[in-house]
Amino acid sequence: MSALRELTIANIRSYLRDRAAVFWTLVFPLIFIVMFGAIFTGGGPSVGQYGWVDLDGSAESGALRDAFAAQANIELVESDEATALASMREGDLDSVLVIPAGYGAQIRSLADAPGAPATIAVYSDPSQGSATAEIYQVVGAVLGEVNLAASGRGPTIVPDPQTIQTQDFSFISYLVPSILGMAVMQLGIFSSIPLVADREKLILKRLSATPLKRWQLVASNVIMRLLLAIAQAVIIVAVGAQLFGVEIGGNLVLMGALIVLGAMSFIALGYVIASFAKTEDAANGMTAVVQFPLMFLSGTFFPIDSMPEALQAVARVMPLTYLSDGLRQVMVDGTPFNPLWVCFAVLAGFLAICFAIAARFFRWQ
Amino acid sequence: MSTSPAAGGEPVIRVRDLRKTYGATQAVDGVSFEVARGEVFGLLGPNGAGKTTIVEILEGLRAPDGGETTVLGIDVRRRPGDLKLRIGVALQTAALYPKLTVTEVLALFRSFYPRGRSPDDLIEMMDLGEKRTTRTKDLSGGQRQRLAVALALVNDPELVFLDEPTTGMDPAARHSLWDVVRALKASGTSVLLTTHYMEEAEVLCDRLAIMDHGRILEEGRVGELISRRFHDRAVRFDRIDALGDERIATFPGVTSVKHEEGAVVAYTRDVPGTIGAILAATDALGVEPEDLSVRRATLEDVFLELTGRGLRD
Repeated sequence: MSALRELTIANIRSYLRDRAAVFWTLVFPLIFIVMFGAIFTGGGPSVGQYGWVDLDGSAESGALRDAFAAQANIELVESDEATALASMREGDLDSVLVIPAGYGAQIRSLADAPGAPATIAVYSDPSQGSATAEIYQVVGAVLGEVNLAASGRGPTIVPDPQTIQTQDFSFISYLVPSILGMAVMQLGIFSSIPLVADREKLILKRLSATPLKRWQLVASNVIMRLLLAIAQAVIIVAVGAQLFGVEIGGNLVLMGALIVLGAMSFIALGYVIASFAKTEDAANGMTAVVQFPLMFLSGTFFPIDSMPEALQAVARVMPLTYLSDGLRQVMVDGTPFNPLWVCFAVLAGFLAICFAIAARFFRWQ
Repeated sequence: MSTSPAAGGEPVIRVRDLRKTYGATQAVDGVSFEVARGEVFGLLGPNGAGKTTIVEILEGLRAPDGGETTVLGIDVRRRPGDLKLRIGVALQTAALYPKLTVTEVLALFRSFYPRGRSPDDLIEMMDLGEKRTTRTKDLSGGQRQRLAVALALVNDPELVFLDEPTTGMDPAARHSLWDVVRALKASGTSVLLTTHYMEEAEVLCDRLAIMDHGRILEEGRVGELISRRFHDRAVRFDRIDALGDERIATFPGVTSVKHEEGAVVAYTRDVPGTIGAILAATDALGVEPEDLSVRRATLEDVFLELTGRGLRD
C-alpha cells in the first residue's frame, strides 16, 4: 500500500507544481463565481417586491403600510394572503408581510397599558441567506422607527418570522452548484493531460518495468483527483457563502456522493481522451474541444428551460447537465430538471461507458 | 560461433531463437545468447540493430513473436511480475517525472519494492548530491542519465539492464558511469548493456555480441573477437578517388579494403610494403595521402569487417 500512497503523493506534488493545471481546476471556477456574482448581485440597490396582506383593515395597519411604503428600496403589492404566498413561491415576490386581524386593537390597548407586543408575519426563504438578511433589515428599520415613536413602553410590534420555500432562487445560488459541477468536470477530464504526458515521456513504460500494478497507478490518479474535488467543493462553497451568502442546505452525504460519482465519470472521460490522444498537445486540444460544449450547454450559467428547444435537446445528452442538476437539488434545493435518481443513474451509466471505452482503447506505451 | 558463458551454473539470461517483427521490419531475427551470473554482457550495434527491442523483451515490456526467454530462471512471458522485483532497468531515454526532485523520484521508486538501497546512498553513488532538491526537468542530459541508472539500482537488483546508458554524457560523466558499472560487477551484479560506443564495449564488457539488422553477427570476449579475424594491421588514409579499392587490394600484404567515414582502411600483413605501394601510387598520381596512419585492429575494425560500414554511420 505504501507504493500507492507514495505515487498519490507524487501525483499531488506534480499537480501542485503545474501552475496551468492549478489555475484551470482551482482558480478558474472561482473567477467565474466572483465575476458573475459581482455582475448579478452588485449594481446598486434593487427594489424588493413585498406582498402586503392586511387582515385587520384598521387605521393602525394603514399607518404601518405607509411606513413600509416610505422605504425607498421596496415596493408593496397588496393582495390576499393565498395569492401573495403563491406569487412568492413562484419567485415574483421577495417577501410577504401579513398583518393579523386585531392588530389595530392590540396597538391601541398597548397605548393604555403594557402588554405583549403586536406581531406581523414576515415570510422569507432561508435558503437565500442574503435575501433573507435584506428583508429583516428592511423590516427592522421600519419597526424600529414605529417602536421609537411609541417610546418608553417597550416594543409595540415585533416580526414573527415565517419560512417559505421559493422556486425561483437567486442567480448566484443557481451558479455556485453549477460552477462546482463544472469544476469537477474539468478536474476529471484534465486527468488526460498528465496521463498522456507521462506516456509520451515514457514514464508509464518505465513504471511497467517495476512491480507496480496498473490498478495502483490508476487508483493513485483517481484518489488524487477525488481529494482535489473535495478541496474544490470546500473552496467553492466557502467562497459562495462568504462573498455572496449562498447557504448550502441539503444532504452532505448525497452531495459528497454526487461529487465522487461525477469526478469518477469525468476522470473516466479523461482516460477516454488519453486513449485517443497520442501527444500532450493533442490531449490539450481534445480536452478543450470536450470541455467547452460541456461547460456552456449543460445549464451551467443559465437554466436549461430557458434555452432554445434545439439546445435543450443537446443539454439532455450532456453528462454535466445531470451532475449540475443533481448538485443544485442537493445543495440549494434547486428546481429539479430531472429527478435526483436519474442524475445518479445517468452519471453511473456514463462512467460505465467511459470505463469500457478506456479499457478497450487505452495504451500504456 | 557462440562461446559459452565464462562461469558455470545457471545463466542469468538465456535467449533462444528470439524473434520480433514490427510490420514489415524484422527487428529481431532469431537471436540466441546466454549471460552468466556476475557477467557484464554487451550488445553492440548501430541504431536500429534490434538491441533495444531485445532488452525490452527481456524486461517484460514487450511480447516477442517467438523464441525462449528465461531471465533469472524465470520465464519472462509467464511470470513478469516476479522478474520485475529482481531486475533493474534504465531505459534508453531517461523517463522521469519532470516536476519531482531527484530525492522524490528515488523515494517514489524505492516504495515500489519491498527491499533495496536508500535514496541517499544512490545519490552519493551517482554523484547527484548537489542536485538532490533539483527537479528532474532541470537536470542536464548526463545527470538525467545518472538518475535513470540510480533508479535502476533502487531495488538492489541481481541483474541490471542498461540501454545506452552513456548517451548524451560528457567524457567525465561517462567515465564515472563506467566506474559504477565496474562497482556493480565487483559486487556480483550481472549487467546487460547496450551501446554503440566501441570504447565502452571494450572497457566494460566481459563478453559482447555484435548486432546488425536484428541478428547477432559475432559473439565472444573482446580480445577473441579481434584476434579471431584480425592478425593484420590497419592502414588508414583519406580516400583518393583516382586510387580505387581494386588497385589497393593488389598492394603487398593487403588482405581486404574497407571504407570508413571518407577514409580507406587497408588491412595488411605487410605494413611497410603496403605503405610503400600507397606512396608510390599517390606520387605517380601527383597527390599526397592525407591523414595516413597505422594501427592495430580494434573492435571498430571487427564491426567494419562484419557489417561493411562504420558504427557511427
